[in-house]
Amino acid sequence: MGDSEPKVVAFCCTYCAYAAADLAGAMRLQYSPNVRIIKLLCTGKVEPLYLLKAFEAGADAVMVVG
Amino acid sequence: MIVAERKPFEEIKAMIEGCKKVLIVGCGECVSVCMAGGEKEVQILASQLRLAFEEEGKKLEAGETTLERQCDKEYLEEIKDKVDDYDAVISMACGAGVQFLAEMYDSKPVYPALNTQFIGVAEREGEWSERCRACSDCVLAETGGICPVAICPKGLLNGPCGGTNDGKCELSKEKDCAWTLIYNRLDKLGKLDNIRKIFPAKKYSVQTTPGRRIHEAFKEKE
Repeated sequence: MGDSEPKVVAFCCTYCAYAAADLAGAMRLQYSPNVRIIKLLCTGKVEPLYLLKAFEAGADAVMVVG
Repeated sequence: MIVAERKPFEEIKAMIEGCKKVLIVGCGECVSVCMAGGEKEVQILASQLRLAFEEEGKKLEAGETTLERQCDKEYLEEIKDKVDDYDAVISMACGAGVQFLAEMYDSKPVYPALNTQFIGVAEREGEWSERCRACSDCVLAETGGICPVAICPKGLLNGPCGGTNDGKCELSKEKDCAWTLIYNRLDKLGKLDNIRKIFPAKKYSVQTTPGRRIHEAFKEKE
């Protein structure tokens, strides 16, 4: 990942968004490596602190997908 | 419980202007329950402050700790070894906790992160309402368990006033008329005669400021 690329953290629901990402992998579809996926059992578990911590850790953007 | 809400972020940030290290202290009692100053809120405030300072090219070290409560000295003592390492302390307790913390660590600036609002109850998740003004002269026995001091905006002991309107208050249609509530409750209890009783002028003299109470067992023998 080059420094000029934005770093994106994606919190994904295991049952939908993560399954979609997994399927993309199984189908050998490319998607940006700048997106780092964190699997959650449910995006209902997302707390404001998770988003803040991602930014503190250097993320340029955070996605919550579920 | 005591209900409070967090101050606007910019106000809190302005308090610690120039600080490099702050200790954020949460309280595990009322303000945790009303989601204003517990462990989670401490973590969020610390993270927000670090990010905001970083955005301005400054570095802030924000320590995080949450005590059982801040209105007892034995719990406040738990941070005595930490406080000296910081430029300031932010208390996320109610006003009582902030003052007790500031009293114990009086050489350190202690800032409040919350606005304390009232003594109340949890109506439902995330919603609280005032029930008690701590007037030191409870009238609930006569009013069917509904407090006119806290619930009537005018605090009338002999209501309702002329502003009662289909069970609502003249000040706002959102507010119930305390005295309509009292009438209905007394009716339900078969104690409607209570409504005819005239309360004398309220004894504000018992509502001393600052309030102080010493339990009988702890009073010094004369």
